[in-house]
Amino acid sequence: MPSLRELQLAFTTALLDGACEALAPWIMDDGLDAIARINIYRNNLQEVFLKALSLGFPVIQRLVGEDYFRQMGRLFLSRCPSRAGNLHHIGAPFPGFLRDQYDASPYAYLPDIAQLEWACQECLIAPDVAPLDPTPLQTMAAGKLAGLRFDLHPACRLVSSEFPIVRIWRANQDDRDGTEVIDLRQGGADFVVVRRSDAGIELHRLPPADFALLRCLSHGGTLGDALQVALTVAADFELAQALRAFVGRGVLARVHTN
Amino acid sequence: MTAAAGSQAGIGLRAQHHREIIERRPAVGWLEAHSENYFAQGGPQREALERIRAHYALSLHGVGLSIGSTDPLDRVHLRELSRLIRDFEPMLVSEHLSWSSAGGRFLNDLLPLPYTEEALKHMVERVREVQETLGRQILIENVSSYLQLSPATLTEGEFIAALTRESGCGVLLDVNNIYVSAMNQGFDPLTFLNGIPRESVQEIHLAGHTVNRVGAREIRIDTHGSQVCEPVWALYGYALRRFGHVPTLIEWDTDIPTLDVLVAEAAKADRIVEATRAVAA
Repeated sequence: MPSLRELQLAFTTALLDGACEALAPWIMDDGLDAIARINIYRNNLQEVFLKALSLGFPVIQRLVGEDYFRQMGRLFLSRCPSRAGNLHHIGAPFPGFLRDQYDASPYAYLPDIAQLEWACQECLIAPDVAPLDPTPLQTMAAGKLAGLRFDLHPACRLVSSEFPIVRIWRANQDDRDGTEVIDLRQGGADFVVVRRSDAGIELHRLPPADFALLRCLSHGGTLGDALQVALTVAADFELAQALRAFVGRGVLARVHTN
Repeated sequence: MTAAAGSQAGIGLRAQHHREIIERRPAVGWLEAHSENYFAQGGPQREALERIRAHYALSLHGVGLSIGSTDPLDRVHLRELSRLIRDFEPMLVSEHLSWSSAGGRFLNDLLPLPYTEEALKHMVERVREVQETLGRQILIENVSSYLQLSPATLTEGEFIAALTRESGCGVLLDVNNIYVSAMNQGFDPLTFLNGIPRESVQEIHLAGHTVNRVGAREIRIDTHGSQVCEPVWALYGYALRRFGHVPTLIEWDTDIPTLDVLVAEAAKADRIVEATRAVAA
């Protein structure tokens, strides 16, 4: 007779890999054979997983249709089984999975949309933190500003794409009928900051240089470093104006002076 | 805050109903939240729970801890649960007599344990560890199952009775799950109920299930997606007579109906409690 450990590993192999040999002999057969009983669990597992995935990625589901989404989801489940008891975590590897599947295909925008949807999910559960109070900055000696480091607000995420992901995302919300045509050949890269406000999730498209500044700050760069990066993207970048906009939207949280 | 609980049935708290509960404050005894749904550190879900908690007693019901697994307990998960308990002061905290992960892979389902001495010893240790970490008693709920692992040396009822005795946990009796498992495996639900120590049961769950055909067999699937069926109501009446008027909860997790439907199911449970009281008097 197998140990509890062996039994649980065999059960997991049966449900995730479809190999039932190790488990089946230890299932009591009274009118319904072991494989049929295991299949009830396999089916439940798949439905729970697909439901959770569709709740997290409604735009992807709408773009590809429910049938194809289920097909995608089953392949994703076999490649990236859940690693946590909390089902809310299962979507984390989904954008990367889609990137492997659709990179350099006509559907290369799908991973970026998934990245955007995952960013929305992360923002929804992030801590409540007061946004940056700009008062100390206004009286700070100009020479000190370049050395400052900022934390991005925890309920903000940065997502960029060579596709118009914000338009695609908006056109596929529940309140839209899905008839809008978006021609990807017309281009339209997007640099997006996703943030949670009291009203819900907001997506803001940023000028590329503003995005570059925020990205540099979010990686721990100083304001001076970030300004250099932004200026290489757009020589006429206006730092004061960009910072005011970030503060106004609550995109920054804390400032570190050393 | 807990005075209301027990006198009236509660309902499972679902995000779809947050706003309506806050605005209408339906007359239900208390609300039960799936712990993992509120592990968020901030944001709208957690804020809604704070507003709801101001007016209702709350219980926390975990579905993802995988307490019966032979993998190490997930300390991060336990820490989040601890934080939730600290912040919301629930009257009851429950987990399942099940496991959902092995070798680091999660099945995110409530899978049955073999009812053996080895599994019992393991569950007793795990429940103790969780209770020590949380600093409080937890309830353990019986799950629906579609198979039985053999060779079992104990019945599920005997397993639960020994678990509560040896670990000090309470029992969350899911009457629907008893019925589903009894029908799927062919045991007598009354024998099950009679084997559970009277004083151990601190909460009862009621829910709906579906009947599927698999080959020539009828199999009941615990969907939590419909009204409680008549045989389960009858079993509930029996449980009330045996265990007293423990807090009762209506669960509904898929195809979630309007709040009114849930409130009506809870009111039905209240009427059965009243009828049992009248007979007892």
